[in-house]
Formats: sequence, C-alpha cells, structure tokens
Amino acid sequence: MTSSISKFVRSEKREGYYDRLVTDLTGLNDRLNAFSVIDGNMKVGFPLSVKDNLCVKGFECTASSKILRGYIPPFSATVVERALNAGFSFLGKTRMDEFGFGTFGINNDKPVRNPFDERRVAGGSSAGSAVATSIMKYHVSLAESTGGSISAPAAFCGVVGFTPTYGLLSRYGLIDYANSLDKVGVMGRSSQDVRYLFDKVKGYDRRDSTSVDSALKSRETKNLMIVEELLDKVEDRVKTRFLGFLDRLKGNGYSVESVSAKDLEHSIAAYYIISMAEASTNLAKYCGFKYGLKVDDFTKGYNDFFSEARASFGAEAKRRILLGTFVRGKSVRSRYYSRATKIRRAVINRLKALTKKGLLISPTMPVLTPTFEEVEKLTPVQNYAMDILTVPPNLAGMPHVSFPYDYLNGLPLGAQAVSDHFDDYTLLDFVSEWEKGFRYEFKYNLGDL
Amino acid sequence: MKIGLETHVLLPTKTKLFCSDAVAVEQPNSSVCPVCMGLPGSKPVLNKEAVAIAVKISASLNCRINNKISFVRKVYFYPDLPKNFQITQLEEPVGEKGFVQIRGKKIRIRRIQIEEDPASIIREKDYTLVDFNRSGAPLVEIVTEPDIGNEEELRDFYTELNSLLYYVGVDIEKEVKSDLNLSVAEERVEVKNVTGINNLLGAARYEAARQTAVIKSGESVRLETRSYDEKSRTTKVSREKETEEEYGFLYETDLTNYDTDWALVQPVRPASLIAQEWAGEYNVPENRIREAIMFNKEALSLLDHGRNLYGFGEMLAVIRLLKQADIMNVTSEGFGRLVSAVKNGASPDKTTLEKYLRGVEIPDAGTVDESEILSEIKKVLEKDKSIKEKYKKNPNIVNFVVGEVSKGKNVDRKALAKLVKKEIEDLL
Repeated sequence: MTSSISKFVRSEKREGYYDRLVTDLTGLNDRLNAFSVIDGNMKVGFPLSVKDNLCVKGFECTASSKILRGYIPPFSATVVERALNAGFSFLGKTRMDEFGFGTFGINNDKPVRNPFDERRVAGGSSAGSAVATSIMKYHVSLAESTGGSISAPAAFCGVVGFTPTYGLLSRYGLIDYANSLDKVGVMGRSSQDVRYLFDKVKGYDRRDSTSVDSALKSRETKNLMIVEELLDKVEDRVKTRFLGFLDRLKGNGYSVESVSAKDLEHSIAAYYIISMAEASTNLAKYCGFKYGLKVDDFTKGYNDFFSEARASFGAEAKRRILLGTFVRGKSVRSRYYSRATKIRRAVINRLKALTKKGLLISPTMPVLTPTFEEVEKLTPVQNYAMDILTVPPNLAGMPHVSFPYDYLNGLPLGAQAVSDHFDDYTLLDFVSEWEKGFRYEFKYNLGDL
Repeated sequence: MKIGLETHVLLPTKTKLFCSDAVAVEQPNSSVCPVCMGLPGSKPVLNKEAVAIAVKISASLNCRINNKISFVRKVYFYPDLPKNFQITQLEEPVGEKGFVQIRGKKIRIRRIQIEEDPASIIREKDYTLVDFNRSGAPLVEIVTEPDIGNEEELRDFYTELNSLLYYVGVDIEKEVKSDLNLSVAEERVEVKNVTGINNLLGAARYEAARQTAVIKSGESVRLETRSYDEKSRTTKVSREKETEEEYGFLYETDLTNYDTDWALVQPVRPASLIAQEWAGEYNVPENRIREAIMFNKEALSLLDHGRNLYGFGEMLAVIRLLKQADIMNVTSEGFGRLVSAVKNGASPDKTTLEKYLRGVEIPDAGTVDESEILSEIKKVLEKDKSIKEKYKKNPNIVNFVVGEVSKGKNVDRKALAKLVKKEIEDLL
C-alpha cells in the first residue's frame, strides 16, 4: 500500500482545489473548532496542519492559551521547517487543551468537537490535529504528546496517532509543557502517511540538546502482550470489542500473552507529579511582560503586575502550576518529586523488559468517546485516570501508536501498541499489516480529488 | 568572626552560555535572540567554551571536578529574568571541595557552579529599563566555606583568588563581584553585590562592628540580606528573610548531562607560590616578586625566561621601571638589554627605556608622523635663528635641535638627526 501522499503529489488537481478545500474547511471548522488559524494562502503541496504549541514563523502561536494571545514567533519549529522543506504546505494551527493540559480538548476558548458525533469530545490535548486528520482526505498533522495527547484524540477520532521515541523529533520551537516528557509526533489517515512525514522530520537538531539521531530498528514480531492490571481498568463494552480484535490478530498469526505488571498503576501519579513540576517552571515565563497578553499598567508593583497577567491562565493551568510548585518545595520534594522519578525509572525498566519480547497492546482509552456532559461530571482525579493506558509509554519515552480497529455505535475504537525505544518502525509495520484487512471509516472527506 | 564569600565571575567566552549572541555589547538590547529573551519555543544549547574555562578555574582552585555535570532551574520572579527561572547548577556542579592557599591557611571552596547572568536593570527616576544584552552571559559562582577569619585573610584570599582568575584569563577589573556572608555570632548576614577589595573590606569592617554592637546591646543579629553603600561606607537592609529562600529547584531537562573529561587542563600555578619559590631560590624578598607577578603575565614570563641568565634583583627593578612607564610587550632580547643597562648603573626614563628596546619589537603606537616632526623642526629653527650659523662651525648643534624636538616623543633620534641636518642645510 502506497501512501496517499505520493498519490496526491502525482495527481492533477482541479483548478481552485485549494481554495475550495479552505472554504469547506472553514465552514466545517465553525462547528468543530479544530483550527485556531487557517492559512487561506495555501496553493500547492500536501496539506499539513500544526498543533498550536509548535511555532510557525509569522503565525500566531498560543498553545490555546489566552496568556499567549498575540504571540507571533519569529522562528519556526525545526519539525515544521523540515516538513515545509520536504514539500508539505502549511494549512493552519490546530486547537488543543491549553498548554497540553487535558485529555478531551475542552480546556480552551472553544471546545473541539468530534466529527463522528458533535455532542462528543474529540480527545486531547492534540484535539484539533486529530479532528483535522479525521475530516480531510489528504492531510497530515504535526502533533505533540506529553502523557497521551496524541493517542487519546487519535483513538476518539479514528485516525493513526504516532508518538515516536523521546528525542527522535526535535522539540526546538515547541512550547514546553514538561520538557522531559514532551514528544512531537505525527497524525495521519494511514501508517504510510504517518511514516512518510515522520521520515522527513526526524533526527538530530543542534538547537535541541535532547534530540538524537539513531538507526531505527524494525523487528518482525508476532508476539503481543496485554497487561492484566491495565485491561481491568477498561469499561466492559470497550473491553469486549478489544478482545474480539485480539481474536482477529490471533487469526492473523499473532500470539497474545497476558502479563502482570502491577507497578504500572503508579505511573499516573508519577506522571502527574513530574509533568506538573516541570510545567510550573515552564509557565513561570508568562507574565504579560514581553509577548502575548500584555498588562498595560506598568506603574504596578512587580507582584501585582505578574499576578494580573497570570490570572488569565485557565483553571487547569492554574491547578497544575499550584500542584507543580508544591511538589518542588524543599520540604516535600523527597516525598513527591523524588519518589516520582524513582517510579519513572521502575516503569522504564519494566516496560523495557516486556517490550524486549514483543509489542504491548491495549485499548487506547478505557472508555467509549464521552459526551461533553459526561466529561463535565468528572472530578480532576477521575479525569487524570482516563490516561491510565497512555501514560506508561509516555512516562518511559517509548514509541507508541494508536490506530482504529473497530467501530461501536458509529464511534471509532482505538488500540495502542507500544514497543522498545528506537523500535519505532516495528510499530508502524505492525499497523501497516493490520491495515491490509481493515477499512477506515470517516464522516468527512474534505479535499477529495 | 566568620566570613564566607560567594563570588560571581564573568567567563571570557565569545558567546553567551546558551546561545550564540556576543557577550558585552554596548547598544542596549542589540545582542539578543529567542533563547536569551526566553521566547516560548526556544531552547538552551550549552556553550562548551564556558565549561572549559569553568573546569580550568575549578582545577586551579584545587576542586574535585565532577565527571558529569547537570543543570537546574532556580525559580523566582523578577523582571531581569526572562524565563522567571535561572539556569544554574545544584547537585552536580563543575567543581567541589577545593581550597585556596593563603599565607599559613587554607580557605576551603565549597563549590563552583556555572550559571547564566540575568539581564541588567537600569533604574531611572520615574521608570525602569531592562537591557537583555547581559541576559545569558556565562558566569561561574565560587562559593567558599566560612573560613575567612579576619580582614587580613579577606584581603589575602581576595588577592589570591583574583590572581588565579587573572591567570585563567578573566578580566578581573570589571567582571568580579561578591556576596559577603558575615557572622560574629550565630546568625549570618549576607551583603549582596560588593565589587572590589576596598568595598569588601569596608563592608566586612562595618558589618562586624554593627553586629558586635547589636549583640552588646543585648539583642540578637537577624538573618537578613543587606547591601553596601559605597558613599556612606555602611550596609543597609535590603530584605529580611525569615527562612532560607524557596527556589523550587528542578532539573533543566532541556539540557542533558555533560562530560567534563575533555576539558581537563593543567591548572594555573598560583603566582604567589612561584613568588615564594623564587624568593628562596634567588634570595629576593617575596613581596617584591609578588608585586611584580601577581597580576602581570608578561612579568612572570620575562622573569621565568631570564631567571638563570640575569640577576633577579635587576630584573625586578627593570619590571618596576617598565610598569611605571606603562610599557608592555617587551621581547626577551630587549628585556635582556635593559637588564644589562640597569646593571651598569643606568636609571632610564621612559624615552630611554624605549630607546633600549627600539629596533626589537615594540609597538608603533607612540611614533609621531613625519610632517609633524618637520613643523617642529622648523619652529625650533625659526625661534633661534642663530642655529644655522652655529651649524657652519659646529655640526653637533644638530643634537641640540634633536633634543628639543624629541622631548616627550617616541622617535628614532638617528633618523631625526638626518631630518634636522637636511632642514638646516636647506636654509643655508
């Protein structure tokens, strides 16, 4: 199966193709809120959308936060630069949960809606990127995941969401959430599209000291593993479908082994402590002083000045700044932050040992795509618990991919596969195999040729 | 009395600590980029040259050098800090557990860490400006144990430290500032940002007296931060601190761990130690040698080169003469000629010193251009019209004119004599 990218590039486009795409997209976006910026000037190339926490030179970049409104970066993220050099064309910036803080795409000015059912959430935080991928026939997106921000919306929107090994995609030009966890990734309508873009943007960047160049492996493996304790967290109707999916995989020649890894349950707590601690330092710079939202009254005392600007953070951002600042405190540091880093180490060791033997597989999300009302009823802790399946590989910096395997009540169901560090191609090959016998379903196909 | 110093030193690198902007640029906010302005999306990249210099300083202060160094964020809100955190070091600083040897005592060095400088704040009457040129400039902070016991030790330590830094290549004239921690009893007081030994001594003297007076009056010294006022030579409270500050240190994970083994070099040998050795070896007062070499690379090298060729006392005398005349870049041959001349009883002034050195390799900075010389000659001949007549009888009168014209100038007297002769002959 060749990627739709090469097909698109070879094809003759009708006159006014791009203008019509932009018009149709703008119309649909008014309902779905996937884009915060649509660049109407696009005339050539394969359409590329970019999550709003990645800088594109000359375009407003806010990470969907009020406090960054008006910030126009004077430079582009390395991954954006590389994609544009490879012939992709910038279509627009996609809406997200503010700074990446969310699982449903609702912590922002306009909640992102699911194209399969607009009463339901799109998933987050890369909500707009997933929706954009789900509604356009020829399109890929640069997204980002800290704790599951690619997998979750990819699952709810029925697209492929690939989060590579930490460091493979440069973070230069990414507005930081948690630097040791942030991973730029790719969304597309097939593993081939994803792989095509991934290959164009990956590799070492001298402007990001944590970026790496590494020979990527592809091992052929027929061994799949499910972690019992994690599967127990999945609601029944989703679990039933997932077990059916496993049966089909077995039919395709895979073995499925059930393993126990109780310690992975601690990964949610460790993840939130580390990510909030880092986020609270990253968000310190936003103070209405030099860019983004500006406080007009320069006669104020420093503290009042800073406080006024920082009042414009959303509720979830404020919660994470407070908690993150708390866990860094001298008196409690060893109780929270230091223990969290030990758990992270243990999770890495556990996952490495498991993925040596094959791929881990699970549903991506423990629930069927929730409605906005259902999400509003969740407490913060219930909300964070939704990440139980996506957090472990993210905490370990391991590559993982979410892809659709079935549809239930007209809603896509996503599965997530995890492999060892730098085993990225193994995952994409695995999805590619699955795609041979699977038919993707989409509600919209804007920009069809 | 116990004194500990935290000294900040600007490292002599071409570029800033985490970006490629130049350090020390005049025009405000002209040497800035997304990184040192802390723009969202930018990332720091460590300047290896700064690490190399910091390793050299640490080695020269007898520190244990950590094989791996890492960085942390020190979080506090202030307008001079573009990210509202400073990238510095905590658990794996470049150097630890060193010492500086002063006369008869070791002052222990607790740690030496690399960190970025904040921007500079310019306070005007009705407003405040921020210049980000300094933001991200590479510093090391050198922290001592509270081992300094009195003013004399403070002076000795400061001189010794500065001499070592000078030999590492730091511009100590403008790039060294210290925080002084002083206690006469239990609580310590920190006096921030003191520059120069005279101010340090002034601050220490005042603080010691003030704290003693507080205790005598039956009260106890409060833990606080003070600043030193150079004009009134007193310290005043800038901030009371009930507890140690809470900075919420966190690993800087945009940076990784860095090896230091590639940067290991020969430490600087203290000039004071060399002075001590030479004093014994050549029977010259140690202080005279110290005076010559503590802050003078050229002198150290000339002495080292000539010490088995010439008399040490004469060499020191010549170095003092050169220093008084503000002459630099002396070749060892020129130096040798000077030493012989001084040995033979000469007591040369600047002009003569330069004469001795001339033809070897001295800079042309002092030479005067020819047209100026010509007009000077003409002036002299105009003033005393009898000269040309006298010349007929005694051509040596030329030397008188040469003397008049060359006063205070660095000119070749032979060439000048030729010019004068030509001018006089033209008049005849």
